[in-house]
Amino acid sequence: MTSTLLGSRRGAIVAVVIVLIALALPKLVYPVLAIDIVAYALFAVAFDLLLGFTGLLSFGHAIFWGGAGYVSTILIAKAHLPFPLAVLAALVYAALLALIVGAIAIRRQGIYFAMITLALAQLQYFFAYQLGEWTGGENGVQLSGRGTLFGIPLENDVAFYYAVLAVAALGTYLVVRIVRSPFGAVLNAMRENEQRAVALGFRVDRYKLVAFVLSGTLAGLAGVLFAVGNRLSGLDGVDWHTSGKVVMMSILGGIGTIFGPIVGAGMFESLDYFVSKTAIGDKTNIVMGTIFALCVLLFRRGIVGELLALRSKRSETG
Amino acid sequence: MRVSRSLPAALALALLCSSLNAPPARAADSGPIKIAVITDMSGVYAALAGPGAVEATKMAVEDFGGKVLGRTVEVVGIDHRNNGPDAAIKAREAYDNGADLALDMTNSAVALAVASVAKEKKKLAIVTGGASSALTGASCNRYTYHYAYDTYALAASTGANIAGTSNGKTWYALVPNYAFGTQMLADFTAAIERKGGKIQKADLYPFGPTTDFSSYLLAAKNSGAQVLGLFNAGADTVNSMKQVKQFGIDKVMKVAVGLGFLSDVDALPDVFAGSRITTSWYWNEDKAARAWADKYAKRMHGLRPTDIQASDYSAATQWLNAVKAVGTTEGDKVQGYLDNRQFNDFYAKGGEWRGRDHRVIHEMYVVDILPKEQVKEPHAWFKIVQTIPPGRAFRPESQSVCKKDW
Amino acid sequence: MLRIVNFAHGAMFMLGAFVAYYGAQLFHLPFYWALVVAPVVVGLFGLVLEVFFLRRLYGLDPLYGLLFTFALVLIIEDSMRLAAGALGSPYAAPPSLSGATNLGFSLFPTYRLFVIGVAIVVCIVVWFVLERTPVGARIRAATEAPVLVRALGIDTQRLVSITFAAGVALAALAGVLAAPNQNVEPTMGDKIIINTFAIVVIGGLGSIGGSVVTGFGLGLLQTLGAVLFPAFNDTLIFLVMIIVLLIRPSGLFGTPASAK
Repeated sequence: MTSTLLGSRRGAIVAVVIVLIALALPKLVYPVLAIDIVAYALFAVAFDLLLGFTGLLSFGHAIFWGGAGYVSTILIAKAHLPFPLAVLAALVYAALLALIVGAIAIRRQGIYFAMITLALAQLQYFFAYQLGEWTGGENGVQLSGRGTLFGIPLENDVAFYYAVLAVAALGTYLVVRIVRSPFGAVLNAMRENEQRAVALGFRVDRYKLVAFVLSGTLAGLAGVLFAVGNRLSGLDGVDWHTSGKVVMMSILGGIGTIFGPIVGAGMFESLDYFVSKTAIGDKTNIVMGTIFALCVLLFRRGIVGELLALRSKRSETG
Repeated sequence: MRVSRSLPAALALALLCSSLNAPPARAADSGPIKIAVITDMSGVYAALAGPGAVEATKMAVEDFGGKVLGRTVEVVGIDHRNNGPDAAIKAREAYDNGADLALDMTNSAVALAVASVAKEKKKLAIVTGGASSALTGASCNRYTYHYAYDTYALAASTGANIAGTSNGKTWYALVPNYAFGTQMLADFTAAIERKGGKIQKADLYPFGPTTDFSSYLLAAKNSGAQVLGLFNAGADTVNSMKQVKQFGIDKVMKVAVGLGFLSDVDALPDVFAGSRITTSWYWNEDKAARAWADKYAKRMHGLRPTDIQASDYSAATQWLNAVKAVGTTEGDKVQGYLDNRQFNDFYAKGGEWRGRDHRVIHEMYVVDILPKEQVKEPHAWFKIVQTIPPGRAFRPESQSVCKKDW
Repeated sequence: MLRIVNFAHGAMFMLGAFVAYYGAQLFHLPFYWALVVAPVVVGLFGLVLEVFFLRRLYGLDPLYGLLFTFALVLIIEDSMRLAAGALGSPYAAPPSLSGATNLGFSLFPTYRLFVIGVAIVVCIVVWFVLERTPVGARIRAATEAPVLVRALGIDTQRLVSITFAAGVALAALAGVLAAPNQNVEPTMGDKIIINTFAIVVIGGLGSIGGSVVTGFGLGLLQTLGAVLFPAFNDTLIFLVMIIVLLIRPSGLFGTPASAK
């Protein structure tokens, strides 16, 4: 699926459209919302690395998003660390956490894997609650400023957005490179038929763990961008509803397509935000739930997936 | 790969854009004045504040004349959905779109988030519905005021009231193990001990929500303590109260509900009957309150306002008065006017905007919740048993931990 | 049994409680009747869901079933919130069951005794149906070897629908039983569902006995934990789940075939 997408004209068009929208986004919507959209996009791409390309459904990915968010904001707020150091520390945290979670969860498959990730995410939620002195408990951590980058303050929302965009673009590029590498080919083989991969001599569990750590670290990066961008982190970041949210975004956009999760995140966040401001605002969850249910029932390939399938069918008969 | 090729282009564009980006235009001093009521429109606090809070604020604006300084005043209702980041974004957007005041913020996490934004934007935020005393403590700032109640006030009222009686000295406390709960425990312990009482045992239960309190309640009953203190909120309070009745605990112990509102009793009258709570205002407390409540009822289909909704009306009116007096909506100037100012209205008796920590003080009322048979008209659930003067109801200035930077 | 992880199970629990509430409000439905009516009503609802929606997802990755039921939770909970408000609706135990009974060593709320009794009876009935009746035998066979069973001419699709609806009905029954004890509000199923997953996973998928034993065991553990280590109570269940899954992948009583 990926090779047809990335090397193709259709893929290029989708990419260009995304880039154009991304560049203009702060002018189209409120800048901090734009930051959120891009952060979620990176989160979804990281998540999809695990689901669409490795075939592992994690129902606890908020553990990295929220956990890294907490670490970075706490370090900026309490230790007054400059932004790059805080990010680095948060990434190290995310990577280590991914190593531990992955090591435990990968020993099982399918539903069990998902349940273990969920359970471990709940454990982190619990600790976030209990360690109130650090995390502010249910009040969360508020930042009075975003810190500095080599001495330059990061307060201007629009400037910060473009920095976030650049980071997200790099992250996405990293995922693309991973997927198109020999490592990615093995992941693909594992996803299609794990027993065959094992029979071919691949240490399947090791590959899964590496993929998990990569996915978790990138998700953590996205979480840092979100938390610092919003100048706060809180329990919603580590809540299982957030884990569910990124699953929905990826599926909505189309798993295994790189751009799918980006589109899914963009649509989901904007829809969520704008619907909540309209007259039917208090029915937002019903709307989002229905859209997602329909997607699962009818458009399982997601928006981008369906778009690509459509085009390729046409070119086949054409 | 398209993305990587457009990366340098993206960066170049970014630099260009950020240099061109002018700061958002301030809704110049000629457009309408906006009050953003940031509240929970559809969740657990919707009945406590929600649409009623927006309506109350609109009433305040109308009663004020609809205009101040020659500009019309608009009220915008914003749903924070009990989500801190969501609320922060919406607050930012509201301020950038010309709002000069953020009001309500019922939900402590939301209140703290918006307070942070207010400080950044140098515009005022008045928190009515949030409970956290951190707003006038560790998280205090120049632009945020805490208007209605906080955990200290609840403790100093209910706690002191019951501990002041001879059969209210020994307490058994049920405490949810999170910031609100532990703060309540700390504040109540202090208040009770000041009256010569003591908390025999405090059971910290994991905040979940927990649905089964039987082990704690049985322990409470067997402890021989005179009072059962429920220092929780929301669903926990309802569940624990239901089970209190089930085990017949209210027949052997006095039940003090840490945090409860008129809207809670409206929803579940049997559950709360017989317990004692503290409120900042009761719609039937005197003629002036009742008159306002009647006006509210006309617009809200017979519902009676909660103390939070009344506080929104009061705060909005006071703010408009201040704006008129200083001739501008600028945060610094209005704040300078409000600090240390005393006032009285149907909501706040003996009110003062304390300059030391931005805690707005006023009378508080300890009330008993009447069982259905004793209620004379719809929504008349409360019976005031004690009025606590502002000086005693709130944390004394000398004990404030607010690092005042203004 | 069905290879479907039904996220909406907690929502069905909640719906059971609300049917009891609305039954009482609108039709003066007494509690004992609600114990029958709610499971039937919600069970039928579950049947509709299964026939019209879930059926389409069977051949696919079980992931989609899970996701669909997750979306269902959002829709159902939010709809109930619009209908009934978020604060909670009052529901009381019937007078015949209120008050306390003297058990000799302690006074115990009569209602809770009733709940314990009902729970035991229901578990025995379910076990009996599954282990000692022809229908039960077919259901168990269909779980283990669906193709073979179909080859024998048995309509597995119908078995699946019945089983699903029965599961939903049981959840609703639990909801009615919980209504007098707890706040009846739209999110009351949220906590239960995570715990239920943990219980089923620990007990072993496909083993009713496992679920029952684990359920009781964990209930005991949680109550003891509430007294001994209050701070960690909530996480106990997850810690147990992780440990069990690492040592015995198919759960305490599950069959190895269900390890996937």
